[in-house]
Amino acid sequence: MSKLSPALDPIVLLPSEGARPGALAPSDAPSARAPEQEALRSGARDPGGSPAVDANDPFDVRLAALEAQAGEAAHLIAELQARDRLKTQFLANISHDLRTPLTAIITHAEILRDGMLGELSEAQRRSVLGIIKGGHQLLQMVGEILTYARGAADQLTLAPTAFALAPVVEQLVVLNQPLAAKHDVALAADVPTTLPLIHADREKLTHVLGNLVGNAIHFTPPGGRVWIAARLAGGAPTVEGGSGRELVVEVGDTGIGIAPEHHELIFREFAQVDASTSRTHHGTGLGLAIARKLVELHGGRIWVESALGEGSRFYFAIPLDG
Amino acid sequence: MPAAPLVLLVDDSALVTEALAVLVEAMGHRCATAASVAEAVAVARADPPTVILLDLTLPDGDGLALLDRLREAGAPIPVTVALTGHDDAATRARCLAAGCRAVLTKPVSTATLLGGLADWTAGATP
Repeated sequence: MSKLSPALDPIVLLPSEGARPGALAPSDAPSARAPEQEALRSGARDPGGSPAVDANDPFDVRLAALEAQAGEAAHLIAELQARDRLKTQFLANISHDLRTPLTAIITHAEILRDGMLGELSEAQRRSVLGIIKGGHQLLQMVGEILTYARGAADQLTLAPTAFALAPVVEQLVVLNQPLAAKHDVALAADVPTTLPLIHADREKLTHVLGNLVGNAIHFTPPGGRVWIAARLAGGAPTVEGGSGRELVVEVGDTGIGIAPEHHELIFREFAQVDASTSRTHHGTGLGLAIARKLVELHGGRIWVESALGEGSRFYFAIPLDG
Repeated sequence: MPAAPLVLLVDDSALVTEALAVLVEAMGHRCATAASVAEAVAVARADPPTVILLDLTLPDGDGLALLDRLREAGAPIPVTVALTGHDDAATRARCLAAGCRAVLTKPVSTATLLGGLADWTAGATP
């Protein structure tokens, strides 16, 4: 650990002299010193205004060392936070720049595929289709990293409009039908058209839903079911004067399920619960972290109810007004 | 026989303009490229394009400045389509207010460009 991050060492280094473990405990201190220590703790100072530090007092030496350590720790934390921000910005920049050449590669391949530069043989066409397929997969992952980095750098902004959820879900079902069919999973939606309009960023909520549906299909064995449902939930009125009503959207599946101890973990970035499953999933591991970020940007929340072998039900709730 | 429509591609990435140039020329159009607002102004004044595909982020400023510069010079304003990496409503509104016919979010699919170019160059008299 310390070899990898030498900058962290000062936090764990102890002063080499005059201190011993446990020196702070009153029972450890020589009894004759006790009154002075009490005075020090209550903030007593000598007439000159400086702390009453006795260089020969193990307690004082220890205290001074701890204060120095605390100062160093605070400094290090600030430095690490600054570096983390730089790294996030780097990630946002690099993923944006990765898209340009990638898009160019895909465009060239699509021009070839469409026969615009002459007819291709069947073998040539298959090869070009491989370039396009790989390119699109890579582009999607780069896009996901970019969204994550923008979210982490608080550079995501919402463009809210009032819209109905039912058509969004309907479109999503149509879009995911081929994937569902490929996995032999039945995909259905039950979203009442009577639900009130939702005031949100349509594109970002579609992204959240698409992510949950994609995950559900991928983690559901053949013959299973994936469903999307939505309902109105009446919460308690909020302090800000809102009604507390929210739209709760559910994406459920009959898939492999998630152990309760992982329910929090999966919404964290870079988390993949089961590496062997994830490897077949081709994901960045950022999908649910992004979904959480996008839902929270709307003032909503996202959670999962699941147990191993019993399928999963992912929910997110978006406040309707106020 | 009138000259084929001229499509001006403005993007500071040669990778992008080269790929689009292949596409545009494969459709039978003529093609010119520019990597900055200044270069685009010069190219457009020398040979007025039918369509401009315009990246918004250029080394010497906002791509939309190209349209202002052409208006100031009294040059004809071609059908202009903005290409942008930012998919927000504000950017879209800004482009349309500046006179763009359409706003496409990068990455733009080949199919979208093919359909769009057929539309934008239709009935054009350069």
